[in-house]
Amino acid sequence: MIAVDGLEKVYGDFAAVQGLSFQVGSGEVLGLVGPNGAGKTTTLRSLAGILRPTRGRITIAGLDMSSDPVAAKSVLAFVPDEPHLFEYLTVEEHLRFVGRLYQVADTEDRIPALLEELELIGKRESLPAELSRGMKQKLLIACALLHRPKALLLDEPLTGLDPVGIRRMQATIVSRAEAGAAIILSSHLLHLVEEVCTRLLIMHHGRALALGSMAEILEARPEMAGRTLEEIFLGIVGADGSGD
Amino acid sequence: MLKALTYLATRSAWNRFASQMRRLRTPRYVIALLLGLFYLFVIVQQQRAARGDDPHAAGWVELAAALGALGAAAWAWLLGSERRALAFSPADVTFLFAGPVTRRTLVGYKLFRSQLAVLVSVLLWTLLLSRERFGVSVWLRAVSLWLLLTTLSLHRLGASFVRSSIKEHGARALRRRLLAPVAACITLGIIGWTVWRASPALAEAARGGGPDAIVAVLTAIALQPPLAWVLVPFHLIVRPLTAPSPGAWLHATWPALGILAAHVVWVISSDAAFEESAAEYSLSRIRRETPEERARGTLTRSRRRRLPGLLRLEPTGWPAGAIVWKNLVAVVRLRPIRAIAITGLAAGLGTAALSFGRGTPAAETLGSLALVWAGVMFLVGPQWVRNDFRDDLSSFALLRSFPLRGESLVAAEVAGSALVLTLIQLGLLTFAYLAFLGNGDMPLTLGDRTLALIAAVVYLPPINYAGMLIQNGASILFPAWVRSDRIGGVEALGQNMLLIAVHAGALVFLVAGPALAGTGLQYLLRPFLGGWAEIARAAVAICMLILETRWIVRWLGGVLERTEPAAAGVG
Repeated sequence: MIAVDGLEKVYGDFAAVQGLSFQVGSGEVLGLVGPNGAGKTTTLRSLAGILRPTRGRITIAGLDMSSDPVAAKSVLAFVPDEPHLFEYLTVEEHLRFVGRLYQVADTEDRIPALLEELELIGKRESLPAELSRGMKQKLLIACALLHRPKALLLDEPLTGLDPVGIRRMQATIVSRAEAGAAIILSSHLLHLVEEVCTRLLIMHHGRALALGSMAEILEARPEMAGRTLEEIFLGIVGADGSGD
Repeated sequence: MLKALTYLATRSAWNRFASQMRRLRTPRYVIALLLGLFYLFVIVQQQRAARGDDPHAAGWVELAAALGALGAAAWAWLLGSERRALAFSPADVTFLFAGPVTRRTLVGYKLFRSQLAVLVSVLLWTLLLSRERFGVSVWLRAVSLWLLLTTLSLHRLGASFVRSSIKEHGARALRRRLLAPVAACITLGIIGWTVWRASPALAEAARGGGPDAIVAVLTAIALQPPLAWVLVPFHLIVRPLTAPSPGAWLHATWPALGILAAHVVWVISSDAAFEESAAEYSLSRIRRETPEERARGTLTRSRRRRLPGLLRLEPTGWPAGAIVWKNLVAVVRLRPIRAIAITGLAAGLGTAALSFGRGTPAAETLGSLALVWAGVMFLVGPQWVRNDFRDDLSSFALLRSFPLRGESLVAAEVAGSALVLTLIQLGLLTFAYLAFLGNGDMPLTLGDRTLALIAAVVYLPPINYAGMLIQNGASILFPAWVRSDRIGGVEALGQNMLLIAVHAGALVFLVAGPALAGTGLQYLLRPFLGGWAEIARAAVAICMLILETRWIVRWLGGVLERTEPAAAGVG
């Protein structure tokens, strides 16, 4: 569903991402982890069509992001790390706006269910100024789910959510994957990533240090057997000579 | 503490300047800078080549400048926006409001920061007026300009403190700060009474005498009490500008300095009002809630949320229509549109009734003012109406994630603000039409005026679209140099004048070709079609303008697709 081949993003003489290749199939949840500045957000923004890769190819559901960006963007949804919303649109109007952008004919039917699922039903007429950060995050996720995307890119979606919200969000992510979406989830909450993700991509200095399921990663590093993801992450990143 | 704040202001200004200069690595920015410098160079050369002013004109210039300064002060009291005067950034609030900084120090910091904008304006105006005038050197004129702009800037800030304090605390604040609002009210009353008394003479001059007669009437009015008394302090602050010699300049500067000092004392002593208003405003800014919203307390929240039926968004159709809709919703949420429309309609009908009465020129005066404003809106409208890409610049990355081609995005962003500007102008023109409805002495018949109004409905949308395209084009081509917020107030007078001049030049350039082609065709077809050739002219001119703007939209769309949020310096 999501295919990345030789992705490279260079700013001047700084390579934010280099030589990145991976695939995420339908129903899979790929956890993107790495220290600050590892290139996670750059990778996700390139996949979302916000940044133009310096080199490499990105396809979403077989649609090439560089040659047919509009079609590729139509089947994906991106939730950024900062909840930027339009300050004069209410919660419900945000969903109508997205519905028109993505041509969702049954927008009006889907709005109540989504607001219910994300516990925003009581805030349907609220402006962003009246929402907490967590609620804004939930609204962004509701917008992302409205058009039933085939690929879902989530950049730190759990930031600002309370423990109950995090649990519900985990359930939402899992249910979307079960419905057939390919999901990439970037987060620093490693224990949650471990619970939700079927595979992991550990990045550092713009490169992939490890890719695969927990079992596959451990198979390649038998000395780390029995450790948690956090310990594996620290071990791999530390072994790379990091100093973040 | 002062050292820390000075460090913050100067380093921020320098870093902003340095970051903008780093953009010069992109050829597009270099070309823009070179064009800008060339433009200034040509103006300066023209100024130098011209002869010095007639010393007799000094009195004239002084009167015009004093009236301008009075207008700026009246604007600050009547329509001034507290928002910009009290604006602190979220970082300012986080570090300074919560830090061990006295409110008085904060006012000082605010004044110091506004000085940076004033100095840029002084530099620009000094360049624009670089010819020797009235015998005083360019340097002395720069000092005079600084005195004038700083005093007006302080006046605006002081007025905003008083207004905010009264708005927040009502009669209690009014009692504490009685002198300034009473003086302002008396001054505004005198201005209103003078304008009303002079309206017959002005209307007569407008009918028969032309611009010279209007100027003569205005001069006579300004020299008569009580307006002449009101103008005394304004004469004092502008007099150094027109002093005929260095000695006279020195003599004229002391009173101006005195007025400046009085303003400093007034503003600094307003620190209590500042505490109430600036902190509250700045915190509300962080919450992204506008003061206008809170000010409109008479409307309940649910009523404000309800959108007019016209603004219903269907889930299918042109996808970028969602962007146009979003931008129109922002306008409806920000302004009491229904109240404005009802008031405008009532005023228009009232003025129409007045126009049938004999012996009162009020309807004509109001109609003329509306006509002038409709024209002025071509220049200042695009600065005021900003519900387009300029407002969305901070959400650049989000826009880029939408499944829209660059050209669709540009077309939709521009459409919203062009539509709003067109509606404002059509409202003003309709008002003028109603104001002259009963006037049978006009050179244009009622039928001609009706045709002119219909022509405005046809011509205004493409012209305004072109105008808004210029503004949005600047944001797309130079996102790192274009501020998303409008810089206002006398501090930014120089920058805004330059922007308006550049905008006017570009708009004339865009409209000239289609207008010439249409007129040429009309000239050729008139022998065959008679009056119908006018329709051919309109059709050709509008079609050419649409083709021209379409080409620009496609080009800007391509630029938008190639521009990266980070490289553009926006999120």
